[in-house]
Parts: sequence; structure tokens; C-alpha cells
Amino acid sequence: MKALIRAEIFKLFRQGKTYYALGALFMIEAVVMISAYFEGNNIIEILLDNLRKSFYFEGTLVNGSLLVYLLLNTLWFHLPLILMIVVSGTLTSEYKDRTLQTVMLQPVVKWKYILSKYIVAILFTLVVVFFLALSSFALSYGIFGKGDLIVYLNTLNFFESSEAIYRLRWSFASGALSMVFFSVSSLTIAVIFKEATKTWIIVAFFLVLSNILLKIDFGSNWYNHFFYAKMNDTWQYFFYNTIPWNLVLHNSLLLSIYTLVTMGLGLYIFHKKDIG
Amino acid sequence: MRRLLWILAFTFSQTLSAQVVDADLLKIKQRMDSIKQFSADLTLNVDISFINMPTKKAKMSYTKGKPVKFSSSDFVMIPKRGLDFSLAGIFEYPFITIDRGEEKRNGKTYKAINVIPTDKKADFSIATLLLDTQNRRIAESEINTKKDGSYILEMVYENAKKILPSKVAVSFEIDRIKIPLNFMGKDTDIDRKQMRAAGTKTGKIYLQMNNYTISMN
Repeated sequence: MKALIRAEIFKLFRQGKTYYALGALFMIEAVVMISAYFEGNNIIEILLDNLRKSFYFEGTLVNGSLLVYLLLNTLWFHLPLILMIVVSGTLTSEYKDRTLQTVMLQPVVKWKYILSKYIVAILFTLVVVFFLALSSFALSYGIFGKGDLIVYLNTLNFFESSEAIYRLRWSFASGALSMVFFSVSSLTIAVIFKEATKTWIIVAFFLVLSNILLKIDFGSNWYNHFFYAKMNDTWQYFFYNTIPWNLVLHNSLLLSIYTLVTMGLGLYIFHKKDIG
Repeated sequence: MRRLLWILAFTFSQTLSAQVVDADLLKIKQRMDSIKQFSADLTLNVDISFINMPTKKAKMSYTKGKPVKFSSSDFVMIPKRGLDFSLAGIFEYPFITIDRGEEKRNGKTYKAINVIPTDKKADFSIATLLLDTQNRRIAESEINTKKDGSYILEMVYENAKKILPSKVAVSFEIDRIKIPLNFMGKDTDIDRKQMRAAGTKTGKIYLQMNNYTISMN
């Protein structure tokens, strides 16, 4: 099993699209930083426009905390999309190049083979989120300095610098769970559809649909508390005035179960399906 | 008859001129004018339904004839009204005062007066002041501005001798923030009823001043 995992890691870092994807991710980071440098004050002006009538403002809110928060928001769409393309590509490229058939001619257990892909996908996702967080903190605070964070979640919430860092760190950790779910889902989709283009269309559709379903409120308690899409914004709960830890734990646990079920489904289908 | 009318008119005009500016207010103004400059550490607590902000600290400094200055190492929201302890804003343009009798606050009786500016350039239409005539200072003021709604300032003093308040509660009207949908952050709940009902809210900010350094004339 260890040998399989090592081989998968080797393959992942040998394929060119991994680096294109990581490059794209850091390009997004650079674009967010540059736009924040030029547009940051306008964003804050819009947020605080109504308050300007009654208050003078001392200090700036365009700082490292706001920048990390803006970069964190790539967890909505940009980051999961990139991860899903890379992760699903690890299997679809094997179908396309027929290397999968070559591997299966070796004494390799099918479910162990695909499980190693899932494990590497999870590790890769965690590493990417970790480096995104690390670079976000280093660049944002390095260039823009520390300061209070302002977030609008139905109310305007202000967090002092140290509190902002604490919440941003937890948010990245929670977001990593959500990213793992999308990565695992994309690999399961790749198991089902095999062909790269089809898989990428389906993963993009799945991501868009998940985001739409997250925003829809059918007024059902069951839907809001147990449906998978509703678990994927848990990382935003850290920016409520009081962190709803019970809800965070509930959602994280449930999302982990959904991730395992999706992985189990992929393992089952791959094990049952013919390679071809 | 004509003589009687002249006497009445003369008496009435004398009464009016006597009411033009309240003597107690002038005494308070004179006392406030004696402050050449002051500085203090400021602690701010915001109480607005749609804003969650931790306690903030800042430094304030005032020099006679100049606006109050603030400095802080982090982001603070300073109310536009409520920190004008010198009452310069009220006394900037000519005004008249009307005696409104007495009013009680927390078991204490204060003299209530209305301040009405006679110059159109003044940024307020009327101010109601509660004067602590015994200690020559303002206890409460309600200022109706022409552009920024009305403000109520409630002052608390450390002791009878103090000229500047140790605590001020500023109540004001504030429009609920209108943010473009899905602008930053989590999906924003859209409650149309709530949005329609939102309108203007009342906010309050509590200021606490410590470590005063006052230099008098």
C-alpha cells in the first residue's frame, strides 16, 4: 500500500497540469492582492458608507487581515475547481494513456490501487490549502501589515488583529475539510465517467450546483442541517461574532462522513467495474 | 390708550432682550473657554444592532480653536458629535436661548434651555441643554442637526469639581447599511420584510475618558 501511495505521489508531481494548476492558484493570489491594493479602499468605502454620516474613521481596514480573508474566499469556487481538475486528472489521464491497464496487469489489488489515489488526493488537497494559507498570511501581513478585520455577515463584524488571525487560521482548517470533500468527489466522478473532458464538465457542474444549493433555502430543517451542500460554508462560521462551535463540529463531522461515503462509493464502483 | 400701548411694547421688548442668552449658559461657556488644551485616553464601546465591534482605545487631544484630534494604533470609529466638550459647535454662530424650566435626571434637577441659532449657517436647528448650574457644566444635550439627524449626549462627571466628563453616552440616528448582495463573505440572508423595515436605527456609543491632562488659561 505504501509503495502504491509513493507511486501516486510521484505521478502527481510528474504531471504538468499539477504545476499549471498551482501556478494558476498563485496567479489568483497575486491578482487578489494587486486588486486589493488599488480597490481595497473602495470596498471599505462601500461597506462603511452609511456610517460615514455619524462617524469619523481612524486607522485603515485595508490590511493583511482583510487580504487573507479575501484570499480565503477563493475557497468558494477557484480553489475547489482547480483541485478537482488536478485530482480527477490523476485517474482520467491513466484511462486515456491506458497506463491503468498496465498497472492492473501487475499484482495490484484494485481497491488498494484506487484507495491510494484517494489518499494522495486528500494529502495533496491538504498540502495545497496549507500552502495557500501560509502564502496568504506571509504575503498579506508582509505587504499590508496587521490590523482589524471587517466582515459583513448580515451584521458588520469587526475583529481585532490577534482575533482575526485566530479565526482566519481556523477558517482555513475548516475550509480544508470542504476542499477534501470536493477533491474526493471529483475522483469518484472520474471513476464513473473515465473520460477527461466529460469528467471536468461534470466536476465543474457539481461545484456550481453545490454552490447554488448552498444558497437555496427550502425552509426545511433537515435540508439546512444535513444536506451535503449546506456543510460547505462552515469555514465562514468563524466570522460570526460568536463562533457557533456546536454547528461547526456538527457540520465538520457530517462532511467527513459524506467524504468517506463518496470515497466508499468510488472504491466500490472501481472495484466492480471493468478496466477499459 | 396710545401711551399704554407704548408702555406695553417697551416692557415686552425688555423681556425679550433679557431672554436672548441664558446667563447660566454664558457662565458655563466662560468656564469651558478657560480650557486651553486637554488630552485624554479614550475607551469606546459601540452599541448598534447591526455592528459588532470590540472595545476600542484611542487618544484624544484638544487645543482651543481647533477640532479635536484622535489617534489610535488600530481602527476606531469616532462619533462626529459628542466629543465637542467645548461646545464650540453650538456657540459658533449667534443664537438665542429659551428657558424651559427644570428637568430631572437620576434624581437631580437641572435647568433646561433651548438654544436656537439665529444664523442660517449654523448646522443645527435647535439644541436642548440641561445645565448643572451649581457645578457650571452641561449634564445632557440634545442637538437636532440640519443634515445628520438628532444626537443626545449624556455626560457623567467623576465629581462635582470636574469640568470635563469622565463618561459620555452618545445616542444618534443611523441608517442601516445597504450592502450589494453577496458582497464579501457568506451568502447573505435576504429578508425582504426586514430590509423594508430596516430604515433608520438608533445607535449608541459609550465613551470613557481617563488620564485627563488639562491646561487652563
